[in-house]
Amino acid sequence: MGKHSMRSLFVLFFKYSNMNLKLALEYKLNRSLIALAIFCREMIGVVVMFLILLRFLHIRGWEIHEMLFLYSFLFLSYSLFVLLFAGIRDFDNMVHSGDFDRLLTRPLGLMYQIISARIDFTATIGHGVVGIVLFMNTAFSVGIEWNWQNSLYYVLALIGGTIIQASLFLLSACFSFWAVKTENLRNLIFFNARRIAGYPLSFYPVFIQKLLIFVIPFSFVNYFPAQYFLRKDGSFWEGYLYLTPVVGALLFYLVFLLWKLGVRSYTSTGNSVY
Amino acid sequence: MTRAYLEFAKKSFQNNIVYRSEYVAGVINAIVMIFVNIAIWKAIYEEEGSLEGVQFKILATYIVLSFLLQTLYVMDEYFIEVKVRNGLVSSDLLKPIGFRLYVFSYTVGTLAFRFLLQMLPALILSIFLFHLLFPFSTVMFLYFLVSAILGYLVLYNLNFLIWVSSFWFYWTFSLVTIKDAAVMLLSGALIPFWFMPEGMIDTLQLLPFASIYSTPIQIYLGMVPEDEILTGLIRQAVWVLVLYAVGHVLWKGASRKLVVQGG
Repeated sequence: MGKHSMRSLFVLFFKYSNMNLKLALEYKLNRSLIALAIFCREMIGVVVMFLILLRFLHIRGWEIHEMLFLYSFLFLSYSLFVLLFAGIRDFDNMVHSGDFDRLLTRPLGLMYQIISARIDFTATIGHGVVGIVLFMNTAFSVGIEWNWQNSLYYVLALIGGTIIQASLFLLSACFSFWAVKTENLRNLIFFNARRIAGYPLSFYPVFIQKLLIFVIPFSFVNYFPAQYFLRKDGSFWEGYLYLTPVVGALLFYLVFLLWKLGVRSYTSTGNSVY
Repeated sequence: MTRAYLEFAKKSFQNNIVYRSEYVAGVINAIVMIFVNIAIWKAIYEEEGSLEGVQFKILATYIVLSFLLQTLYVMDEYFIEVKVRNGLVSSDLLKPIGFRLYVFSYTVGTLAFRFLLQMLPALILSIFLFHLLFPFSTVMFLYFLVSAILGYLVLYNLNFLIWVSSFWFYWTFSLVTIKDAAVMLLSGALIPFWFMPEGMIDTLQLLPFASIYSTPIQIYLGMVPEDEILTGLIRQAVWVLVLYAVGHVLWKGASRKLVVQGG
């Protein structure tokens, strides 16, 4: 990667994005319908939460706006994730279809190619709109003072959450090097963890809390950042509230090392049609 | 002739069995969803101080039953779409079988698979994990079975409308997803009707979605008075017929369109 200047990498990244955008715009109607469908699917959880709280007003001291604010982190960070790292999400397929072989023959960093080659605009919009709707409706009514420290914290937490999710997907991508079909296992772990994270961590038994802090650190994507702003439950260690970017960076670094190990032992599936 | 359809059902059953990781995943998904929902309701009832009350137990049973039915009610949504796009549908139509019966027997094969290898394991786990209440009475349980089958047929015929639309749209992911969202929200699958805003309940009862989850589960729990059960079952049967009729019309149009297109 050393032979390329930062500038040329940026230009290339821009060209890649441009191609992706053209791809998305090729089927305007179909893509907008898919984005709408994703929006509807993701809104189910929001509407259910809304209906429950319409009836009960609060659960363990959490009010509707606070719950939805907690929820908004999941959508915004996932939206950023599919905008920036859709290539990592689809890496499984890339290995199985043999497309990954093409990347190996090019004189560019592999991770750079994977990340820049694919942007899922449709899913970005589908999830992003839910996230923005929730954020706009809650962020200014749950008593957060949006000074520069808090805003900076918010941005860092969002980036950290995005990278945590990217790491989880990259981890499952690692296993596909050793010719294991991991898509199901990954979806099982990722989306169930995400479902659990939709509600405050304090609602769950200790075992699940530990799982979401130490094993699949989804609590750093939304619970602890929201907790920093709202200070609802006092039962967790204060330090967790500031760890999201650290967890993200550390996890990504470790998984990246494992991934590099995987690339070295990679033997193609021989599926490539090119 | 029926033997052919039995074979189709068997084939589809076997197709499902191949993906072993899929069926472990299906069971775990169901358990996690039940678990999350019960945790939320537990938090609510704990706050109200009535965790030991009948209300909570009924609600927990409602949640468990709903997710068990959901694991059972999963169908292959793209079976027809794939055939339309790769053109195999034309050779299927040439065979001396009824295409719609073929699709139905395929779906029933999947149902058998989901019953034996998804719902039963999830049911056994749920009995241990979530203290499922027994049916209100044996009679109610029988009514529940009839109602659940009718609910399945309502969903099948509703799905069929979307599936046939692939003859016109070719890609139906967005339609299927939006339909799923509507079913989830309006059928009582995720939140029982009695927690919905009062103005909405009457409207919901008029829609076909209520027949899919709400009616069978409420019968199981003994929440429907005996003289209203029959009305409920009839309402379900009427929806099966209405949706079937619409599907019939759409199917006629679709098969005509295919001929015009020249296959």
